[in-house]
Amino acid sequence: MKLKQTLTVAIIITLIATISWEAYWRSQGLYPTLNDEKALWAMARANVEKADKDDVVILGSSRAYFDIQVEQWEKSTGKTPIQLSSTGSSPLPTFHDIVNNTNFNGTAIVGVTPGLLFSTTYPKAFPWERPQSKVDFYHDRTYAQRLNYLLSIPLQKNLVLMSADEEEWNDDIDLKALLKRVNWGARDTMPPPPPFYNFGDVSIPRNMSMMPRTVTDTAFAKSIIDVWHFFGKGAPPPDKDATTEFFMKDVEKFKAKGGNLILVRPPSSGGVRMGEKMGLPRERFWDSLVKVANVKSYHFEDYDQFKDLVCPEESHLSLNDANFFTAELIKTMKADGALAN
Amino acid sequence: MLFNSLSFVLFLIIVLTLYYSKLFKWTGKKRMLLLSSYIFYGMWNPPLVILLWISTIVDWTAGKRLAVEDNQKKRKMWLLLSMFVNLGFLAFFKYGDFLLENFVVVMNSIGIDFQAKPMDIILPMGISFYTFQTMSYTIDMYKRKIEPARTFLDFALYVTFFPQLVAGPIVRAKDLITQFYEEKKATTNQFIWGLFLLTIGLFQKVVMADTLLAGTSDAVFGSSKLLHGVDAWVGTIAFSGQIFFDFAGYSTCAIGIALMLGIILPDNFRYPYASLGFSDLWKRWHISLSSWLKDYLYIPLGGNRHGITRMYVALMLTMLIGGLWHGAAWTFMVWGGLHGTYLILERLQRKYLPFKITKWNGIFLAFITFSCVNITWVFFRAREFETAWNMIKSMFYMQTDGVKILDTFTIIKVTTVIAIMFLCHWVMRNTSMKDVSLKTSPYVLGVVWAIMTFLIIIAQGSGEQFIYFQF
Repeated sequence: MKLKQTLTVAIIITLIATISWEAYWRSQGLYPTLNDEKALWAMARANVEKADKDDVVILGSSRAYFDIQVEQWEKSTGKTPIQLSSTGSSPLPTFHDIVNNTNFNGTAIVGVTPGLLFSTTYPKAFPWERPQSKVDFYHDRTYAQRLNYLLSIPLQKNLVLMSADEEEWNDDIDLKALLKRVNWGARDTMPPPPPFYNFGDVSIPRNMSMMPRTVTDTAFAKSIIDVWHFFGKGAPPPDKDATTEFFMKDVEKFKAKGGNLILVRPPSSGGVRMGEKMGLPRERFWDSLVKVANVKSYHFEDYDQFKDLVCPEESHLSLNDANFFTAELIKTMKADGALAN
Repeated sequence: MLFNSLSFVLFLIIVLTLYYSKLFKWTGKKRMLLLSSYIFYGMWNPPLVILLWISTIVDWTAGKRLAVEDNQKKRKMWLLLSMFVNLGFLAFFKYGDFLLENFVVVMNSIGIDFQAKPMDIILPMGISFYTFQTMSYTIDMYKRKIEPARTFLDFALYVTFFPQLVAGPIVRAKDLITQFYEEKKATTNQFIWGLFLLTIGLFQKVVMADTLLAGTSDAVFGSSKLLHGVDAWVGTIAFSGQIFFDFAGYSTCAIGIALMLGIILPDNFRYPYASLGFSDLWKRWHISLSSWLKDYLYIPLGGNRHGITRMYVALMLTMLIGGLWHGAAWTFMVWGGLHGTYLILERLQRKYLPFKITKWNGIFLAFITFSCVNITWVFFRAREFETAWNMIKSMFYMQTDGVKILDTFTIIKVTTVIAIMFLCHWVMRNTSMKDVSLKTSPYVLGVVWAIMTFLIIIAQGSGEQFIYFQF
């Protein structure tokens, strides 16, 4: 057997093919970024174990993730907050984990996206299962998984082809995602969900920022808006009583430990905001929660500097606006005594 | 540690560098391999390495005593000690909750109100593999079929050798321990061939199982809806392909990695989906387990030495226990029971309706066998009987209003992959990859290798665990 020749041919062709693949996707405008995955979340979650009274943990769904900028927070306060918000997630499972499984008694900022926080407490429901799977991963992760992630970071930061995001975006370029894009027709009459493209870049330590394309390319932004409207139409009715009851048990425990809880309602605009006003009116949901929680709370509509912010895809702020929102929010919180100066 | 992970790539590079460096003599290399194997295992859950140590020490001691002890009663005691410890581990860690659940059901059914909280015991990775492997050593020592391992190091390495530690092949002592006695070093061709096998194994796992098939089988078996027949069949054949590529992929990786160290491991799969009947299937599917069950269960139960009825009982018991070996659930028992039934029916057919297998009816027979195997996979994959029964009803069109959850491309993709897999198994059933590669131009082989590597790279994978790790 002439296996040396075989190996040489294999190495040469693999190198040529891989370099060409990388070059092709770069030529299409893609650039290397980290994937927003549970291993990254777990790294941030691990920081809560050693966090003290002065530390800040941010919990919530994608709005708290996009709109509260970690880097801006660090610039304004000198302290890096621990960002544990997750896209498409209720903050309740993560808050529950932190209250019940850590000694953390610093500041917890809970971002309130009414459609997610008040959605459900059913463990198999999408907004609950997603963050819970991250919590479970953190507690169950093996040393091999930790090492795998550390080794993958430099590859993700430097290679476009490392794009297999757990979100399974429609513009991922791993083999599974490429095959998923082949559409030879559905067999039933149910309309397929609209394509969902990645519109944010994440960096360590879990700072999520909106891609510039979402701001400049209105057709692209429209594709994201279509997804929100699709989810909005198909969403089951909220379960305010169960979610509030679940949350309040943890709020009381957290307060008893000396923790400082802050509620923040980040901006939304356009059709999404209209839908929220109809399905999740402020008086019934936000105001009611603020009343029972009895903690410092900030609704974007209550502040002149925030109420006219426009979300390019109706649900999240652009990077510039998110930096502004973060800086102003910190000022407001400090002035209010919610955050120490 | 998973073969399809970056940490394993780093681990393997370090192990190979140390193995082929001049830092150690052979004993030092074996110590290094043993330590690496514990690290390989401990990177998953360090405390559970203790179970490996206990199993190793108990079987080493039992084997040593069995080598010198002539008193039959004492010999039996040493054998029973080994079996008690190994099967005890299995009973506690793997079947603890299952036994408790069934105990509660029995109590309640006889009117005793008894409730028990699940113990939620963690299942040590690969426990079914290494306990069976160490038990085979003690049983063979008891039967005086083998010589005892020369040193504790050789025995410990036999129990823990990282390429096959967590998902086989389950290697017999005579095939592996003796290889540790003399210094082993892969030839250049062996090393490259080992690397080629590792690539094929990763291709089977990352590309074929995880990328092309897993999504479909997960969607179908995870659906709470009553499915259309086409969807049920496609989901089932997708799982059939997934489990083959996943498990055969692991075995191929293990054989390849061992070969890179100059160690030869036996084949675990020989194109099983081209089997002509079920006896043939079990000589081709998970060979190391089926031969273990044959030697240590079926034959001790009487095999075919005590008449037909006893043989059928032995066969059925072996398959039922084989089913239970895969998992602590009644669905696995049904899977084993179906295979037992197939084997009995096949023997009856051979006796009462014999026919000659020709090249013309062969592929048809292989297809029938493959189809029957697919039906058993439904019980293997479904977590509950309700899901399995719904699937069976859908597959045989007893459900006319089933939901269509798969799109056209997925159906074509899965059926194409499975058809190619079946035909490849048929073409390869009387040959081997090595024979085919010998007849292939080295350049063509290089291109094939490159395509597989490239597809692994762009598939990326998410470090999905191999299915058989849970068994």
